[in-house]
Amino acid sequence: MKKILYTISFLVAAVAMITSCETVIDPELEKVQNVLAVDAWINDKPDKQTIMLAMTQSYFDNSLPPGVSGAIVTVTNVSTGKIFSFKEVVGGKGAYTWVPSSATEVLGKSRDNFKLTIQAQGETYESYSMMGRVPTIDSLTFTYEEESSFFPAYYNAEFWATDPIGIGDTYWIRAVKNDTLLNRPSEISVAFDAGFSNGGNFDGIQFIPPIRSSVNPFEQADDGTFLSPYDPGDSLYVELQSISLAAYNYLTQVSVQTNRPGGFSELFSSPIANVSTNITNTNANGKKAVGFFNVASISGLGKRVVKK
Amino acid sequence: MRIFLLFLLCIPEFVLAQQKFTISGYVKDVSNGEVLIGVSILVKEMGVGATTNEYGFYSLTLPANTVTLQYSYIGYLNTTKTVSLTENLRQDIELTSEANQLEEVVIKDKEDQPTATNMDMSTNNLSISTITKIPTFMGEADVLRSLLLLPGVSTVGEGASGFNVRGGSVGQNLVLLDEAPVYNSSHLFGFFSVFNPDAVKDTKLYKGAIPSRYGGRLASLLDVRMKEGNSKKMEVNGGIGTVFSRLSVEAPIVKDKASFIVAARRSYIDVLARPFVELLQEGGALSFYDLTMKANYNISKKDRVYASGYFGRDRFMFDKQQGFSWGNATSTLRWNHLFNDKLFSNLTTVYSKYDYKLQFGDDERNKFSWNSSISNFIVKPDFSYFVNTSTEINFGGEAIYYSFEPANAVGVSEGETIDVSLEKKYNLEASLYAGSTQKVNSILSLDYGLRFSHFASYGPGTVYSYNDTIPGVRKTVTGEKTYDKGETIATYNNFQPRVSFKAQVTESSSIKGSYNRMVQYLHLISNTTASNPLDVWSPTSKNIKPELGDQFTLGYFKSLSGEQEYEFSAEAYYRATQNQIDYIDGADLLINRYLEGDLLAGKGRAYGIELYAQKKTGKINGWVSYTLGRTELQVNGINRGEWYPTRYNQTHNLKVAAFYDITKRWSVSADFVFSSGTPTTFPTSRYLQQGILIPYNVNDSRNNVTIPAYHRLDVSFRLEGKQYKGAKLRKNRDYWVFSFYNVYARKNPFSIYFSQSDERTLPGQPIDSQATQLSIIGTIIPSISYNFKF
Repeated sequence: MKKILYTISFLVAAVAMITSCETVIDPELEKVQNVLAVDAWINDKPDKQTIMLAMTQSYFDNSLPPGVSGAIVTVTNVSTGKIFSFKEVVGGKGAYTWVPSSATEVLGKSRDNFKLTIQAQGETYESYSMMGRVPTIDSLTFTYEEESSFFPAYYNAEFWATDPIGIGDTYWIRAVKNDTLLNRPSEISVAFDAGFSNGGNFDGIQFIPPIRSSVNPFEQADDGTFLSPYDPGDSLYVELQSISLAAYNYLTQVSVQTNRPGGFSELFSSPIANVSTNITNTNANGKKAVGFFNVASISGLGKRVVKK
Repeated sequence: MRIFLLFLLCIPEFVLAQQKFTISGYVKDVSNGEVLIGVSILVKEMGVGATTNEYGFYSLTLPANTVTLQYSYIGYLNTTKTVSLTENLRQDIELTSEANQLEEVVIKDKEDQPTATNMDMSTNNLSISTITKIPTFMGEADVLRSLLLLPGVSTVGEGASGFNVRGGSVGQNLVLLDEAPVYNSSHLFGFFSVFNPDAVKDTKLYKGAIPSRYGGRLASLLDVRMKEGNSKKMEVNGGIGTVFSRLSVEAPIVKDKASFIVAARRSYIDVLARPFVELLQEGGALSFYDLTMKANYNISKKDRVYASGYFGRDRFMFDKQQGFSWGNATSTLRWNHLFNDKLFSNLTTVYSKYDYKLQFGDDERNKFSWNSSISNFIVKPDFSYFVNTSTEINFGGEAIYYSFEPANAVGVSEGETIDVSLEKKYNLEASLYAGSTQKVNSILSLDYGLRFSHFASYGPGTVYSYNDTIPGVRKTVTGEKTYDKGETIATYNNFQPRVSFKAQVTESSSIKGSYNRMVQYLHLISNTTASNPLDVWSPTSKNIKPELGDQFTLGYFKSLSGEQEYEFSAEAYYRATQNQIDYIDGADLLINRYLEGDLLAGKGRAYGIELYAQKKTGKINGWVSYTLGRTELQVNGINRGEWYPTRYNQTHNLKVAAFYDITKRWSVSADFVFSSGTPTTFPTSRYLQQGILIPYNVNDSRNNVTIPAYHRLDVSFRLEGKQYKGAKLRKNRDYWVFSFYNVYARKNPFSIYFSQSDERTLPGQPIDSQATQLSIIGTIIPSISYNFKF
């Protein structure tokens, strides 16, 4: 819905001859204590899995996040009882990894429940996540769109997959163009069944068009002209990750809070608010932590654009 | 009904020492037959009086005698009538406007009723002549933008729809156009308002002490009354501006008996741009327009009917099918009937609708369309009984039937249609009220009343229940219940007492106070920085309680007359509210079946002091208004459960408006606005999550800082066209307006937002963060308009 608003506000701004202007400022911020930030998005692939532990930084501190060393990190597959120990990487700036011992060893399968335990800085944190299911991606297509009054000719990429029957499957769609993960805040794409959100009645069908084409990076050249998301020769890899409902809500909030194109769209922006977390301190009076834990099952497909 | 009877019993019965007769009638403008609202009629011998109501009617019951009546109204010459009261008398009066006088006539002795002596408090009147003098944005005189210069009225910034009154939200104002509710009062987001100044007669803003005949919103009532149309001769008004062109025609249908007015406005940027923009030739549109109409007919001395309507639309279309449009439509039918000289009645019926439509995708197999609307039918009988010179009773009722379409949304994906529409909602709000204005003695006057309202929501419908939640975490659905057509889902009843008093301390000064309870059953669901056309109104339901507000006001009023007339007032207000709506972090407000689960309810309080000084006469006139205020909410789950200021909180708010006649033809006006910055939330910290930089406030604060202050100066020059052609007076009048908005080109902050840099960063590279201050208007905006009348 936000995208529609942006389109409208862009139009209005263009025609209303309103001379809005933006200035980068350097306001003073409250001085606060930093807390533990957990970045634990792992999956069912037989690959190295990484959990990052770092401290929050002052908002304008543009250095790399300070990693947290000496923590004990384990992930338990509650359904099978198997415990996976994540080992700190030396010089890894807070990275803790688990490497499968064989080419087939994985954390678990769909419907398995997982528990994350972190002992760090004298506190114990926990989090739970259930691995959801994910459909396979049937195909990727690149449609050549003729020049229109708004856009020059371009290739529009879409991924084709069908949400399995049963309400409540939630996904994170991630796209990699020529080895670059499309990871701007504006490129966060999540789905509830085959639609945007709960209550939308989009269960068990092909992903709806805006989600299907959410794998296109929209960029402008220096002179402001719109660039085709894909050109012949470019490659695209789409990864569909199952996420928990809590993670879906979390990423929705992250998108609202971080995707700030500025300009006239600020009229319609939501107030700044903290995004949620599913990391809790086992001691209710202990220091809090932020961040998220999700265990995904993943499907993916890649393709290269051929000239039309 | 019992309440009414109680009321009637409360009225003191005066012993009739002498036979009494009633003198009543309408007061009109002699030049065009428009009835005049708020004319004061003074019985010179007795020092008592009356004022005309919204339909220009007055009634005075006096002992049989010969009396001298003085009719006075701001901007008009006083008229005095001596009558011998030996029977009930009908006395219709026509007053002459100062503007219609030849300039040689110097008007002195003007005695319109100053605020210090009438019952009004917490109200502001803006005459259309003042509105057209205030410097404009893009050359367009605008009712809502003019209101922003009054004490207690504010906005969060340029481009924001609506206005805030005494710390109330935009959705807490009831905006009535000829008694019809207007749900979105703005064109082009918030830059212009929907009221065509050529068709507006009178605007009155009630910020408190709201009479019992009105209800439905917590913060204010804006009562906009349209002109009836010239009943003497044909009149054409028009203007060509930078954004709009406007034209209005008014004329008698039957002289002095029936007349009409039709007024239209249209923006024409798209018309001018059409030859150059391909999009517009292919069916695209970028425009807004409105049409205002009214007709009235004096059936007899006792009956008059009015029909009025408004239709307006904003359209932003990419092509014939794709785009976005919204607008209001209202129609009002009214019947004034005099049962006798003392009992005036008005029956109003209203249909009004606000809707918006969106459509994307021009391919039949892949498209998305969405529309939403709120429509209502209103019946409102209202009676005024003029008991005697010291007592007036007002009673009546109001029934509003609402029909909501929160979203009719249909998506077509590869030929497969998916309907994500939300259920319609049906509601009834029925009210009864009675009130009395009573002059107890020469010092004390009282106005007291009671309004009872009943609100019901009816099926068909589904009600979801939600779990309780840890504050700040989204709720989940725990159950649902389906209701059949016509089945009552939820009902609420509320008594709303309204009391105000005036103590006339001296002849020219008074103290006034009031207590009001207001109830609001409709809620504007909006969590964006500024309200916008996609905002949805949601009715009170099983899960959403009605908003309640209790406001107390106390004020001191002083008038100085003599060579120069001045008015001063100081008012303090305190409003406590319950069931104020705020939103769970991450709330999804559009096309969300479980919307009610994303809402939070809390308490609110707003308080402040308003100071106002006006110089009413002389070559230089104008006013200064200052408001010191605070408005806060306390909602479990936000700001650690502690009080926090609302987005539209402004500590200081100063406005100056000045008008100066340089020569007979040139005049200049200026306004200056200063307001403290509005609150916003700043993060304290940042962290990374899968390569995305996330802002974080460790203290969980809401609105913990304020953005820099806002100030702006506007100036406008007006050049009257020549009034004489040789020695002959021209029939046509015209004038030019040259206005300069934001004269010293201040880049006023609208908001400050935090974001990560737009560059793509490689894994392992640090990400830059920044804060950006946005100004919606950062330069001076000059404009010209030409206006004519013939």
